[in-house]
Amino acid sequence: MGSDKGKKQKLGEVKEENNGTEHIDGELVLSVEKLQEIQDELEKINEEASEKVLEVEQKYNELRKPVYDKRNDVIKSIPDFWLTAFLSHPAFSELLTEEDQKIFRYLSSLEVEDSKDVKSGYTITFNFNPNPFFEDTKLTKTFTFLEEGTTKITATSIKWKAGMGISNTVAEEKKGNKRSHAEESFFTWFSDSQQKDDVDEIHDEIADLIKDDIWPNPLTYFFDEADEEDSDMDGGDEFWFFSAFILYVDIALRSSLYCSSDSKSLARKKGSDGSEDDDDQDDEDDDGDEDNN
Amino acid sequence: MGADKGKKQKVGEVEEENNGAEQIDGELVLSIEKLQEIQDELEKINEEASEKVLEVEQKYNEIRKPVYDKRNDIIKSIPDFWLTAFFSHPALSELLTDEDQKIFKYLSSLEVEDFKDVKSGYSITFNFSPNPYFEDTKLTKTFTFLDEGTKITATSIKWKEGMGIPNGVAEQTKGNKRPHHAEESFFTWFNDTQHKEDIDEIHDEVAEIIKDDLWSNPLTYFNNEADEEDFEIDDDEDKASDGSEDDEEEEEEEEEGDGDE
Repeated sequence: MGSDKGKKQKLGEVKEENNGTEHIDGELVLSVEKLQEIQDELEKINEEASEKVLEVEQKYNELRKPVYDKRNDVIKSIPDFWLTAFLSHPAFSELLTEEDQKIFRYLSSLEVEDSKDVKSGYTITFNFNPNPFFEDTKLTKTFTFLEEGTTKITATSIKWKAGMGISNTVAEEKKGNKRSHAEESFFTWFSDSQQKDDVDEIHDEIADLIKDDIWPNPLTYFFDEADEEDSDMDGGDEFWFFSAFILYVDIALRSSLYCSSDSKSLARKKGSDGSEDDDDQDDEDDDGDEDNN
Repeated sequence: MGADKGKKQKVGEVEEENNGAEQIDGELVLSIEKLQEIQDELEKINEEASEKVLEVEQKYNEIRKPVYDKRNDIIKSIPDFWLTAFFSHPALSELLTDEDQKIFKYLSSLEVEDFKDVKSGYSITFNFSPNPYFEDTKLTKTFTFLDEGTKITATSIKWKEGMGIPNGVAEQTKGNKRPHHAEESFFTWFNDTQHKEDIDEIHDEVAEIIKDDLWSNPLTYFNNEADEEDFEIDDDEDKASDGSEDDEEEEEEEEEGDGDE
């Protein structure tokens, strides 16, 4: 019984040379086989669990849809809502150059939609009103989760109008502006598409931000902006509404007055004092001075 | 109507000085209120979804339990199973010093168990046979998910005399050619506990690897090792590079049963 041969013979003979314990080895193999069966069983259970979880997610996605549609309608009556929410988001606002901010004024709505089966992917769409920057009215970025575990990313190829979309140059010109602004245009995000599956774990942080943070509850950020500026205020919702409006209307108005590249106005709003319109700082008690006319 | 005062009056009157658009503002407030209601509605839907998902997870955890128990019984008849699996895991093996390797020979089993409701936490237990290193036969690390963060508790190892001085011992056996050895003992993992909830996102990578990777399918790693090498871990002799003696599994596929001569 050549030890080598014994070992290589068939499943069931292992490490004879160590102890000549074929008997145990045979049992060993059997145990390993049984173990494999159990792992297979566990795998089936896990797959079933994943399917059930997916079903739940699909079901609730269907439930959410009409609510999101309803929300979209309400948002339509709040001009510059998405603009405000984006600018108020601490991380997102850092991604917008001065030029981007001007472009965002034409943003009419945001849409995030999962594929019907949820697991195949999702799409983020920015809807814009006709604007002087690009021809498109819809900028979309789609993430498709493929079988092999990679993600395919496709996005709208922006049709910039003449002289537009040269973000870098424009950003530099406005360097003097105090408002935090990015170096590179946010819109390059639409160019970051992967046609190859080089990177398995593509981590599109902006997409995550929009899908998991802003889209689920943009109202938080809408209010946050107001909160930030008047941090000493802790009044109730009423006050927040109030401050939010000050800010909101401020943006809305600048929007309509915004015919020239007056970036200073924006800077002022978020500037250190924020005191022009936001006399809220004095309004802590909400009662105000009443109208003593 | 002093502009300032107008603004301070009540929610709904804003920025008179700019355009006097009180009417629009009133509608605005209504819209925002409606929006808030919708967000509340969404939140309820999300909570319900989370609960349903949790129910599924709880249900399948119950289904898995007896299977894990069955698995544990079978593993008992495979000597050094967990030891081998641990060493075969590319990441975990890097965490073991030579001394750790010796200690791991006394590892009898590994257990990972979720709390009954799944969401509250889980624990990882290393069961050891009586050994010359520490008094304990069970080393456990528990993760409890609290609202304010994760609480981590672990067994305070009762090292025997002269044991548990990882650095000192590790250096002595530096000569060992085996590639996998860490500087710091793996057992310090049991010291990494958090009683405060300073860090919300406590990221215990070792725990994650054990729970999500090794525990789910240790056989994958066990088989890998068998392919590579003998079962000996710290014996220098058998670290023969060819590893051709026992790893006939690769060749077994062809079932070249010559039969015993």
